[in-house]
Amino acid sequence: MPSSVPESRPDFIQVDHFSFHYGEKQAIFDIDMAIPEHRVTALIGPSGCGKSTLLRNMNRMNDLIEGVRHEGDIRLNGTSLYDPSVEVISLRKRVGMVFQKYNPFAKSIYENVIFSLRVAGRSKKSELNETVERSLRSAALWDEVKDRLHDSAFALSGGQQQRLCIARAIANQPEILLMDEPCAALDPLATLKIEELITILKKQFTIVIVTHNMEQATRCSDRTAFLYMGRLIEYGHTLQVFEKPSHPETEAYITGRFS
Amino acid sequence: MGWLIRSGGVAVILSVFGIFYFVGKEVLPLFRSADVAPVGKFDALAVPAVLGVDEWGEMPFFYDGGDKVVFLSVADAARREIEVPGLAGLKITAHAFDPVHLRVSLGLEDGRVGSFLVGYERKFSGDGKSIIEPAVTAEPWFSLKHGEGAVTAVSYGDSGAGRVIAARRGEGAVATVSVLRLGMKRGLVGKGKLSLLEEVEVTKELGAEPLLLRASQNGAMVLVALADGGVAYFLADSQGVSKRQTFRPFDGVSPRQMDFLFGGVAVVLTAMDGRQEQWSLFRAGRDGERMFGESKVFPQLGEGRVIFAASQRNRTFLTGSGRDLSIRHSTSGAVRWEGALDIDPVTAVLDAKGGHFIAAAADGTARRYSIHDPHPEAGWRAFFGKVWYEGGSEPVYQWQSTGGSDDFEPKLSLIPLIFGSLKGTACALIFSIPVALLAAVFSAAFLPLEIKRVVKPVMEIMSSLPSVVLGFLAGLWLAPLLETRVPSVMMMTLVVPLAALATGYVWCRLPNSFRNRFAQGSEWIIVIPFLALAGWIGWSLGPVIESLLFVHKDAATGNEIADFRLWWPQAAGISFEQRNSLVLGFMMGFAVIPVIFTIAEDALSNVPESLTAAAAALGANRWQVVRTVLLPVASSGIFSALMIGFGRAVGETMIMVMATGNTPITEWNLFNGMRTLSANIAVELPEAPVGSTHYRTLFLGAVVLFAMTFFMNTAAELLRQRLRDRNKLV
Repeated sequence: MPSSVPESRPDFIQVDHFSFHYGEKQAIFDIDMAIPEHRVTALIGPSGCGKSTLLRNMNRMNDLIEGVRHEGDIRLNGTSLYDPSVEVISLRKRVGMVFQKYNPFAKSIYENVIFSLRVAGRSKKSELNETVERSLRSAALWDEVKDRLHDSAFALSGGQQQRLCIARAIANQPEILLMDEPCAALDPLATLKIEELITILKKQFTIVIVTHNMEQATRCSDRTAFLYMGRLIEYGHTLQVFEKPSHPETEAYITGRFS
Repeated sequence: MGWLIRSGGVAVILSVFGIFYFVGKEVLPLFRSADVAPVGKFDALAVPAVLGVDEWGEMPFFYDGGDKVVFLSVADAARREIEVPGLAGLKITAHAFDPVHLRVSLGLEDGRVGSFLVGYERKFSGDGKSIIEPAVTAEPWFSLKHGEGAVTAVSYGDSGAGRVIAARRGEGAVATVSVLRLGMKRGLVGKGKLSLLEEVEVTKELGAEPLLLRASQNGAMVLVALADGGVAYFLADSQGVSKRQTFRPFDGVSPRQMDFLFGGVAVVLTAMDGRQEQWSLFRAGRDGERMFGESKVFPQLGEGRVIFAASQRNRTFLTGSGRDLSIRHSTSGAVRWEGALDIDPVTAVLDAKGGHFIAAAADGTARRYSIHDPHPEAGWRAFFGKVWYEGGSEPVYQWQSTGGSDDFEPKLSLIPLIFGSLKGTACALIFSIPVALLAAVFSAAFLPLEIKRVVKPVMEIMSSLPSVVLGFLAGLWLAPLLETRVPSVMMMTLVVPLAALATGYVWCRLPNSFRNRFAQGSEWIIVIPFLALAGWIGWSLGPVIESLLFVHKDAATGNEIADFRLWWPQAAGISFEQRNSLVLGFMMGFAVIPVIFTIAEDALSNVPESLTAAAAALGANRWQVVRTVLLPVASSGIFSALMIGFGRAVGETMIMVMATGNTPITEWNLFNGMRTLSANIAVELPEAPVGSTHYRTLFLGAVVLFAMTFFMNTAAELLRQRLRDRNKLV
């Protein structure tokens, strides 16, 4: 299926015996996996299995929570996330993130898209305009909003707002795009649009997506990782995981016996 | 359950309206003008040369220049004549009436001057009714040595200890004026004997024909109005009689009427053409002598005979020409009442209680009117305008509601109090807004949760500190402490923030590997010692700076003293007081900071995590998250916090009472105090008689305070809603 995808580095994101604790509670147990470049990797699993936690560790968003600690390491393209010399802010610039609930700022569409450039201190008008057009085109939103870039982002529909959030996440050209159940708050039609978008975006970005939706995982991911109770149960090509799961829990989950 | 909530709501609205009703009921009478109603007629009396009345306005007396005084009881129209002892057979050529002492002064054809006093005694009979018993007492005569001919004008002043009689002899160009100083010679037993101390002839010092004489009721001054339009002012004291000034109230037009007002330092003059002005004694310069100067111009009267009667209770006076009379108030210059009488009066008198006036016509008919004017001092002009008070050299905004004596002129301008409220609020807010908002931002966006859990309740405890404790600390501990260390405080406010910024700058330049050893949000531990050090440096730098910059050179000894308290008045020309705005700002901070902090912190903490996470994921650092997401989204809440802080500061009373010195002055000086509307109410309401002008004015202060906060809050609420709509959440 993914024939047009560019050359891929197999361990673009290397999760290296990674464990994670929220205070007393351990959320991730010794996960070890390599996520390839320019592929869509889906993290699936029942609620509370640690998939979102793992995702949010890939740009250290979990640092914002009190009392967390980790063991092991995650490396992005060779750089350790937890190296003492890493500056979290510059790290996050390499990793875009799309959230479960679309969350544009109370600003215009234009200002939403260029937010990451603004905080990076870039203000050249031509660059900003160019970024807005490129990002909105990449997010398949340009044609719908090009005439009202300075309207409030809240004037858009839910699906459009989520695509705006995608445009915002990719505006500063990150290497990785993390998506935390990006379609959970959307209707089927809007979901379909986002899924189409994901398959296009993987040419530019390495995408990690957390989803509850089996069909979504099969439709748009190349790899699937099944997490259960904080452990990585099964990880492989999507088709293989869904058609010939090697673990009984995986099979039980994907056939809908528990969720 | 619904009905309970509804009735609760209705009860709240009703009680708010109840408060409005009560306050309105107290305040509205201030803005009513006087009511005057006719309450009696008397007829067929002799020509009333002198008309006087008792303090209740119940028994006027008429004196026609003969040897009898006619008393007329209002209640039963009973007429009673009392003969003045020793007056029979004398030819009276001049008379004048002093309503303060109920004294009729007399001048005789043979050049003698004297007087008699009218007295009233109120006796209560057994059945609860009272009767008024009039009496007449003659006073000794004194012969004028100077001048010739009959006495043609006389005026009598009496301070109790010393007395003055001004008298004119002769008419026209040959008239002479003498001033007699009388004294009481006290014997070992019994009453003292009134005797002449000296007679001073002042004709030569006049320069023109004398028209009117007026001795002030306290006997300290004699004014002589002259035919050339001038008025000569003589001071009579224990040293003698000396001329101080000749002033020209109407540019050459001579006065037709000249009378002192209650209090005896202001005189109302009416010109031949009807112009009416008030001249009062004041020092024009800093140490000049007190001279008369024009301080008020009243509406012009018509032509014809001038009626004038001053109140013996306040600064109202009854004046007019022809049938048209008006009641005017000198302080505000306002006309309290205007109307036309149905007789053509030649004289009128106000009773001492201010409840009635009686006017009499040449044919002997008289009318009695009741006056209802409980608040003559009040009015828009008195409350909000600049008023030229007696003794002042210019119109000012001044609040001084009570004085040491009965003849005190109340100064009821609310402007110094409004100014004080605004200044106090500004001082409090300038100090507390930056601290509270920065603290709220720091707590909401930077502090680790476990510390925040301690900080918030502590701040809330701080807001529950009784303000009387804060006021006590401010007035008795902080004020004396800061008084001597102003330069230290200035240095601290300069050095501490700079140290914080410098520490932050250095911190940002440190390598990540070092900075990452500290958990996010715990950097403040590193700043604390630097801030403490900076505070100590600032405090110790104070005296150094003081000795360098704030050196006061003592004019008397030539010594140089490094003392800010002495330097400031010299350099800035305004005073330095111990209980000043700086102290207030600090202490009000304790009251206002927790309020602003708590609400602003809540608003910032309630910003949805999805937005801050989105900003953080887009590479915004913590400060950028604050600026781009937290502050805009929480702006309406922060605005509410500021408004509630403002309300707290405007309404704060105890700290203001105890820490500001309560001086109602209008000066933007950080080193003096103020008096706020709220403190004013707290300080004066217990001493204001219920229903008095003073009492109602304090309520008016409350209304103004309410209006200020109401308009501020309404404007702020509109602004807040706009902010909220702009940053509304999905």
